[in-house]
Amino acid sequence: MPITITAPKAVRPSYATADNASDDSGSDSSSDNGADLEGDIPMTSSSRRKEDKSYSIVTPGEVITDDPQWMRGHGTYVSASTAAIVSSVAGTITRTNKLLSVRPLRARYTPEVGDLVVGRIVEVQAKRWRVDVGGSQLASLPLSAINLPGGILRKRTETDELQIRTFFAEGDLLVAEVQQLFSDGGAVLHTRSLKYGKLRNGVFVAVSGMGGGGGVVRSRRQVWTMEAANGAGPLDVVLGVNGFVWISKHVETPEALVAETKSATTGITNLEESVSTTMYSSQNDRIGIETMREIARIRGVVTALVENGLRVDEDMLVRGYHEAVEMALLSGGGADDIYLGGERGEQLAAALTGV
Amino acid sequence: MASTQHVLLSPAELAYLHEALSLTPPIRPDGRAPMQFRPLVAETEILPGTNGSARICFADGTEAIVGVKAEVERTRGYHGDEQEEGGEEEEEGGEERREGEREGQGEWVELTVEIPGYRDDDAGTAFLAAMLSEALLADGRFAKKLWISRRFHWKLFLDILLISPPLSYPLPLLSLTTHLALLSTRLPRLKSEGDEDPFFDDDWAAAPYLYPQGTTTTRPPITLLVMAVGRNIIFDPSKEELAVADVVLAVSVGEAATNSASTKGKGKAIGGMDIDSAAAQPGRSLRLLSVRTVDPPSRVTPPGMPNATNSAYGVAVSVQKQPEARTVEAQAVEGVWKAPRGGAKPAVMAALVQKVLERGGVADEVLDALEAVELG
Repeated sequence: MPITITAPKAVRPSYATADNASDDSGSDSSSDNGADLEGDIPMTSSSRRKEDKSYSIVTPGEVITDDPQWMRGHGTYVSASTAAIVSSVAGTITRTNKLLSVRPLRARYTPEVGDLVVGRIVEVQAKRWRVDVGGSQLASLPLSAINLPGGILRKRTETDELQIRTFFAEGDLLVAEVQQLFSDGGAVLHTRSLKYGKLRNGVFVAVSGMGGGGGVVRSRRQVWTMEAANGAGPLDVVLGVNGFVWISKHVETPEALVAETKSATTGITNLEESVSTTMYSSQNDRIGIETMREIARIRGVVTALVENGLRVDEDMLVRGYHEAVEMALLSGGGADDIYLGGERGEQLAAALTGV
Repeated sequence: MASTQHVLLSPAELAYLHEALSLTPPIRPDGRAPMQFRPLVAETEILPGTNGSARICFADGTEAIVGVKAEVERTRGYHGDEQEEGGEEEEEGGEERREGEREGQGEWVELTVEIPGYRDDDAGTAFLAAMLSEALLADGRFAKKLWISRRFHWKLFLDILLISPPLSYPLPLLSLTTHLALLSTRLPRLKSEGDEDPFFDDDWAAAPYLYPQGTTTTRPPITLLVMAVGRNIIFDPSKEELAVADVVLAVSVGEAATNSASTKGKGKAIGGMDIDSAAAQPGRSLRLLSVRTVDPPSRVTPPGMPNATNSAYGVAVSVQKQPEARTVEAQAVEGVWKAPRGGAKPAVMAALVQKVLERGGVADEVLDALEAVELG
């Protein structure tokens, strides 16, 4: 059947928010003088709201409470006329003691120093690039914050400025780190490391980053190499904190190759030198069919996790991938069946959450 | 004609996607089979003030709503009316129309498309609306359903709204939603007879469907987006897939009438070639209503640069040599993206259309699935 059309479901199971709800109720019961927040909220369907607490969603402009004992937190403001706390975003209410805040259902990425992000060049200027990282404004990558080719910490020249497009052009994907923040929330990136630079040999998928219910969360490791099933070899996964994900074939790092060929001691200078060789390449290596299939499978796992409101991190993705390989073997299509949309995705999410 | 929205992908991504989609069988980025559609969630009769409405959404959040409203309108050019109103209109038109009973007109249907972030007179939006109404009217039988009497007709307003920003080319989504909305459209039952002023039954429950259910009458047409990469034919392409397409076609198909005598629409009956075997094979006989080529965004993508000519590649590059590296058109290098040049091959176009019209093929199953959606 090439097409499946289903009727809309009454309530979509959201595993992530269900966890939060249980946390909230726990903290609520411990503080015995907590006011009855429910009573203050002018909602038409208050009865439905009580029985189904995890779906108490407020919309921008909705009065959360006019009780003065509460303090306003993120996602709220105090209206000037009535001194009531009003939501400024669409999301779920969270309480920390007397602090009321609204977690947005979907938010743009807010950069923080040290975040590993995947970005796409949208604009090339005289001395810098403007990079889309999914935030409210474009991040900037100065020419002085990249490793120039041709060796060790070379001085930036006017020629480099003139041929700025040979390093990164419009549309290019890169992995970088947030180096600095401006007071207006704008970020400055840098790629001065071996692990950063232009991305190739793989596919890109954008999911929601920090802020929403599901999506990529900050974790211990955002970049790792995993061994894929079905003889596909190792794959690299880059989970940008901003929710941009890159899945690619693992290519032996240049420093290892250099060590092989030269059999010399790879000093710091050699390392810097060699990384620049492939850093700005936009030519893909030869990629086998099995590898492409497993890359598509991991991409499917990422989208399935997000569609079912689960977080995306190394642990979930690796477990989800192994589950997906198992599922494919059990299904009629065999190991070549990589489709993980619709019902398959729900099955996968159910298997991962153990319900 | 009219290009799809501009996509920004890096040359390395494009090269990878093109390579994966050129394999046999192709590996699509979301793992679907080449003929597989994205799973849909659909419901009908969601807007209380309309004669018929439908909503379809994808799992990625793309969502479309279609509302159909009907209004009784005096048929222009009818002889009797003109005398009442002063009769300055041309009379010969009215005389002609009297001959053909139940003649429909294209202007009885008004179709508007709204896409967030785009002006309503944007070329892309206008093109979408034109394609959808063209498919609807090419049938020749649709407007006839709106005929009330010789003096009056229904005027149908189709409001097509894309609620989310367009994550992929929204044509098939809008077409399928329109199809569902029309299936759920009901018009009040006519009580008056002949050419007297129309008088309707005010019982909504008794209102008949515009497309009667359960019978073998025709269904509204559907428009499908098909693309080709190399020799692979891919249905319902996503945005990334469109970005590497060689050819993209929007194919409108309708059901051919059960009695072949009444095929007098302007669309070519491609299905004629298998008329002899029609009785033996299962499925509907489909009729090609229109074909439009959609300009694939792949043609305006930047080419990749092979390592050999990349001045930023290699250890000992002489940075001073090349002042500004231009993107030079070179011969194909493996792993380097090169935008497709030249027109589409007729054989590929024919194969695309043939694949859509196949008996028991994709269009057939899509129609079946849409029919299975519960009305109300």
